[in-house]
Amino acid sequence: MSPTAVLYVSQAIHGLAYGMLLFLVASGLTMIFGMMGILNIAHASFYMLSAYFCYQVLQMTGNFWLGLLIAPVVAGICGILAERFLLRTVHKQGHLAELLLTVGIMVIILETVKLFWGTESLVVKIPEHLDGLLNFAGLSYPIYRLFIIGLSSFILGVMALILYKTRLGKIVRAAVSDADMVNALGINTPLVFMLVFGMGTWLAGVAGVAAGPLLTVFPGMADQIGMDAFVVVVVGGFGSLIGAFVVALFLGELNAYGIQFIPRLAPILMFAFMAIVLAFKPMGLFGERE
Amino acid sequence: MRDKLYKWIPWVVLFIVLIIYPHVAGIYYTNFFVRFAIYALFAVSLNLLLGYMGVLSFGHAMFFGTGAYMTAIVLTHIEGFPLLPAVLVGGVTGGVLALILSPLLVRVSGTAFAMLTLAFGQLIFVAALKFREVTGGEDGVGGYPIPPLSIPGIISIDMKDQVSFYYFAVVVVAICLYILWYYTKTPFGSLIVGIRDNAMRVSYLGFKLSHTKAINLIVSGVFAGIAGAIFALFQNLVSTIGVLDIGNCFLPLLMAYIGGIGSFFGPIVGSAVLHVLEFLVIRFTERIGLVNGVIFIVVVLFAPMGLVGLLRMVKERWFTRSANQMSTGTSS
Repeated sequence: MSPTAVLYVSQAIHGLAYGMLLFLVASGLTMIFGMMGILNIAHASFYMLSAYFCYQVLQMTGNFWLGLLIAPVVAGICGILAERFLLRTVHKQGHLAELLLTVGIMVIILETVKLFWGTESLVVKIPEHLDGLLNFAGLSYPIYRLFIIGLSSFILGVMALILYKTRLGKIVRAAVSDADMVNALGINTPLVFMLVFGMGTWLAGVAGVAAGPLLTVFPGMADQIGMDAFVVVVVGGFGSLIGAFVVALFLGELNAYGIQFIPRLAPILMFAFMAIVLAFKPMGLFGERE
Repeated sequence: MRDKLYKWIPWVVLFIVLIIYPHVAGIYYTNFFVRFAIYALFAVSLNLLLGYMGVLSFGHAMFFGTGAYMTAIVLTHIEGFPLLPAVLVGGVTGGVLALILSPLLVRVSGTAFAMLTLAFGQLIFVAALKFREVTGGEDGVGGYPIPPLSIPGIISIDMKDQVSFYYFAVVVVAICLYILWYYTKTPFGSLIVGIRDNAMRVSYLGFKLSHTKAINLIVSGVFAGIAGAIFALFQNLVSTIGVLDIGNCFLPLLMAYIGGIGSFFGPIVGSAVLHVLEFLVIRFTERIGLVNGVIFIVVVLFAPMGLVGLLRMVKERWFTRSANQMSTGTSS
């Protein structure tokens, strides 16, 4: 391949890797929003928390796979606890109180992380068999990024199966479109909410662990992806998984090519895109309601 | 007549206290008070949206920050720019920003509004970091001359003197707060509250929702910008971390919530409480953010109307009890 083509293709894969990570974070966010009406400002904080947990597991055992297994689960449990003991108590006060509460949770997670792990960047080593480059048709590409794409696709597939082929998935989808009606049909919606919240934070946790070796682990890591995930949810339409998927991939590519060609304007491109979409479709591209 | 007199006494006392405060308290506490006053104005401007219109502006630092930046930039580049116009420049910048964003912001409410303001706040934060030529990037703009307060040919007060600056800042903040207080008491202010309580009914009454919301947004932006301008004059340094970052979005929110969003004076009380608290906590631990976060959660969980709301509740309970003793049945 010619050097230009290599550049384009490798940027496309970069974008795809980031887009998939973004989708893992945004899917949890959009499901929580669609179902409970809560915009979880703290969502990306769980992503960061999980990356730190993974770092800790690595420090103790030195096994990345163990970290990938344990850290997101612990983050998910933290999410479930936050939902059960904090968010549920203010549920009757309305969405504003819930939103503010998640702001508080975000601040507390951020400060706790700083307290335990300090403010400097921590390096998570890429596991040996994922380190290195893959040579394919004149193109050499880091294996780890391909691993991220594979892992995200796998999780996406499992999630789609659960959502569209099981009874639980049916309940979840029904609750996203009308939680009150599902409750009236005799299903324990608070329990479903809790599970979905836990699963959403688990997804964010997986993304956090996967991002750790790529972007290093530091207290500001939640800000970047958190903002991007919010844009994905807003543009894709609140509560729409398909919308989140399409927009996450698009933003990933926009980011990758933006950094390549107009580095200074790249972060602004994303917001410009959001502003344009909202000006014409306030509900987002795939959204049905506000 | 006596009622009126009683009403005035606290204000006169407050006035006298404010005048002698810097001479009694010393420079450190004088500056402490100026910070409190700036943030009180900032938090009240936020509460104009949060408490009165019922929408959460999660990127309010953008009005504050752009106001501060514009004042700093104007003072850096235009020699001999006078003081009061510099403050006005900050206000106008905040207002213009609100005006630009209003077509998008008035279309949404609730969570979408919070999202959009958050996103635009971050956009401006990133833009300020990237456009180094104008904003100085991470270093910010600093070391610009602070002009004296002067009426040509009559008087010129040096604003580098911290006590004079204290008087200047307090007077400006007081005037702004009075204007805002008056604004909330006008029929237009009631209309804003009406939109919060039942937007559809206000619309059916024949008011234009989008225009009304936009005007309130602009007013809020103007006064946040003025707070930012005073901040720029006070610090003589404006940098992205400090005026535009997410922490600065969170701070006025915290103040408004601690003080109570249901009252005009709530955010002022909140600003005072938070500053005093920070002053006390900083002696024991550097983790002021953690303390703030915990307090915020506790307030949202247990006292959603804040300290002023708590006070009102207590007062009401006592008041109704005494009313019950006098005449049972009618009071509730």
